[in-house]
Amino acid sequence: MSIRIVGVSKRFGSLEAVKNVSLEINTGEFFTLLGPSGCGKTTLLRSIAGFNQPEAGEIYFGEKRIDRMSAHKRGIGMVFQNYAVFPHLTVRDNVAYGLKARKVPGQEIGSRVEKTLQMVRLGGMETRLPNQLSGGQLQRVAIARALVIEPQVLLMDEPLSNLDAKLRVEMRGEIRELQRQMKITTVYVTHDQEEALSISDRIAVMNLGVVEQVGKPWEVYSTPTNWFVAGFIGTTNFFEGEWAGPEGQVLVNGVRMKISEQVRPAGGKVFFAIRPEAFKVAGQLTEEERKGMVRLPARVAKVEYLGYMTKYELELGKNLNARMVSYDVLPENLRKEGESVDLFYDPKRVLVY
Amino acid sequence: MEGGEDKGELFMKSSFWSLTTILIFIVFFFFMIIPVISLFTGSFQTEEGGRFTFENYTSFMKYSSYWRSFSHSIIIGLISALGAILVGVPMGFMVARWNVMGKPIIITLSTLPLMLPTFIAAFAWIILLGRGGIITKYLEALGIQIGSIYGYPGMILVFVSQLYSYVFLMTLSGFSSIDESLEEASRSLGASPMRTFIKVSFPLVLPSILSGALLTFMSAVENFGVPMVIAQQTPNLVVKAYVEFTSEVGKHPGMAYTLSVVLIFITMASLIVQRYYLSKRNFIQAARGKPLVKQLTPGKRVAASAIIYAVLIFTLIPFFVAFILSFMEMRGPVFYPKFSLQSYIYAFERSARPIFNTYFLATVATLASVLIGVPTGYILTRRKSSYSSMLDIVIMLPFVIAGTILGIALITFFNTGWLVLTGTWMILALSYVIRKMPFIARSSASILYQLDPSLDEASISLGVSPMKTFYKVTFRLMMAGIVSGAILSWVTIISELSSTIVLQTPGWSTMTVEMYQGIISDDLGKAAAFSSIMIVSTIIPLLFVTKYFSKEQTPLL
Repeated sequence: MSIRIVGVSKRFGSLEAVKNVSLEINTGEFFTLLGPSGCGKTTLLRSIAGFNQPEAGEIYFGEKRIDRMSAHKRGIGMVFQNYAVFPHLTVRDNVAYGLKARKVPGQEIGSRVEKTLQMVRLGGMETRLPNQLSGGQLQRVAIARALVIEPQVLLMDEPLSNLDAKLRVEMRGEIRELQRQMKITTVYVTHDQEEALSISDRIAVMNLGVVEQVGKPWEVYSTPTNWFVAGFIGTTNFFEGEWAGPEGQVLVNGVRMKISEQVRPAGGKVFFAIRPEAFKVAGQLTEEERKGMVRLPARVAKVEYLGYMTKYELELGKNLNARMVSYDVLPENLRKEGESVDLFYDPKRVLVY
Repeated sequence: MEGGEDKGELFMKSSFWSLTTILIFIVFFFFMIIPVISLFTGSFQTEEGGRFTFENYTSFMKYSSYWRSFSHSIIIGLISALGAILVGVPMGFMVARWNVMGKPIIITLSTLPLMLPTFIAAFAWIILLGRGGIITKYLEALGIQIGSIYGYPGMILVFVSQLYSYVFLMTLSGFSSIDESLEEASRSLGASPMRTFIKVSFPLVLPSILSGALLTFMSAVENFGVPMVIAQQTPNLVVKAYVEFTSEVGKHPGMAYTLSVVLIFITMASLIVQRYYLSKRNFIQAARGKPLVKQLTPGKRVAASAIIYAVLIFTLIPFFVAFILSFMEMRGPVFYPKFSLQSYIYAFERSARPIFNTYFLATVATLASVLIGVPTGYILTRRKSSYSSMLDIVIMLPFVIAGTILGIALITFFNTGWLVLTGTWMILALSYVIRKMPFIARSSASILYQLDPSLDEASISLGVSPMKTFYKVTFRLMMAGIVSGAILSWVTIISELSSTIVLQTPGWSTMTVEMYQGIISDDLGKAAAFSSIMIVSTIIPLLFVTKYFSKEQTPLL
């Protein structure tokens, strides 16, 4: 079941939560709405669910227009941030709830509930009450309850944000697996960019009611189309400087850096960003590799050794620092504080805005 | 077309609730606000009716019998509140922080006096310590003369022993809710336990303590039965208003209205203090760690528990007395220590009707209160609008109006015109509904606040329509709270005297009225018998509620 969102706008009083958003979500896709608090992702999800009415625009499930339909008739499955598991019903009755509402015959309910509980690894917990379950288990009940009805669209509103970090990582993998198995079109809302990158087919990065970029995870990470996306996804070094001379050189706080192959006229402000992993030191590169790169002298200001990687903070000039990460953790290749190094980076990997 | 038909559904649903809000508002407006306003306007009229005048108010300030009743009300209220603090705060601290024995029992027993009519206590203490009282006579025989219990001493004794629990329960809740880490932080910074208590714990609990004291104050000020029974020489405003009202037959009872208005100002001022001053200073939040309960040595534990139970038993002595007396033989106004069911037989023979009336009226009024109160609670939490804010304020008003005053207002307003309710049972039920429905609305609202709205949405997302969702999910989860709230309302209605005494008519008297008349006319056997019936009718439902409903709702809200 594909989803088409056409020009949807939603406001609350004077606040425009969603501004003229259009998206196309393919059948079976795991599509994530990603952004900081207040960007409109949850509002948009709830518009799809039917819990608010957009002022403008249309929403289609396949060919059918559904934005005027009551929520309970849309055939969705929804998983809420705080689980919303019915406290007065057992696990089995919770999961069976939607099936009972659809008047599915009793025997079939029994087998479908059991199968789904097995899928979410809650077999054997049918008779437990919600107050006997942990957060992770409650979330699985919520997921089972939404999946068992085999909805045409699955909507998930930050389902993992109330869990502890380790559980979050575990569960997101399980959710992705389940979705792959069942091939249900899924719209997933989160503010955690790592989570989004890890499990999505495509991501829509949102900010202040607007979609900044839509793309596959590697697209939004390595080719962010604007400043906001570059800053929101992953960590980045941001620089502001002036074009200064031939062959794409800029002057940043007195430091000269080449960031482009093109010739640019001098003067004129420029913003650019370089990912921490784009920096390398001499020892990590071969002669060949070094040829295409720009050399930048620096001094090591801080070293943070994390075992599997090392984070460096480097001083490029007065009041100009950059962060770098290196996965080369051989003791002989570790740099020390105060050391002078030569940094190298590929100007093609610089994001210029 | 699908879009159109669902839009119609949406419209109907939202306008359904808007209409309901307006309807409830109109009902309250007509049946409570207007009668009370007529009290105000009536206070500015002369005895002959008609002319606008301040003379009632000037009389109020000129004649000592009037403004004395004002000062009696205030002084008794303040002393009672103070007494309640002296008793309730230490008790609340001990039960919250020490491992005294049988905490659930302590809490239940402390709630009992709040449920039972206070004037039973007045009556029983007179039996014990009055002029011809059992203990009085016994001490006289030993040569000890105790002072008179009538007037202030008796009122204070009764009010403190019956109303202390408002402070106790609020203090208990306050001390139990302080985040343990606050006290630990204080100690880690070098403050001694005593200093921690004075500088950290106590200030945090103070607003709760004062809220409880305020409730005690308001209950004492609004009380009718106790001053009538034990302090006829020093009547408070309520009593004075009642006396003025019932004595001015035929004439316009302007003075009665004036006294009513003064009383309303007192209670309204108290309520405003509570809402705007105290509740804003309440810093206690849902604690992440509950404070440590100190494990006392066995000796200390027994001693502390003994003190608490001694206090509890003292406050419940009147009810034991009434209970025992009801089974004693009576010859004239004197009791003989012989077992007899005489009083009960007498009561059932002569006053079977009032017993029926009491249960009937309480049941009808409770049902009506639930029918109006639960949707109101829903509107206040889930259907907020400008109308609902007005509704919120309107349903607070019954707290401000003493029962007797409400009775006076209703009886006057519904005496003539197109809707005559005066003299029927309906006016009694009306007064009960007005006074209890806010409680049901508030307790429904507080249950709904704790219910996650996502539960409704989850049900809808699974294909269940909003209407059905209300029944299958919301209402089901509210059931326990609604039922226990209804039972508590029922129990407090059967003990009601202050408005009943004004609104009752021959044929529609209640048990409390019979008891009261028994006390006034020295028909003590009747009073004792009805007291016992009342006590049993209160205890059984209360036990039922505490046993089957895990969360205890105090009658404070």
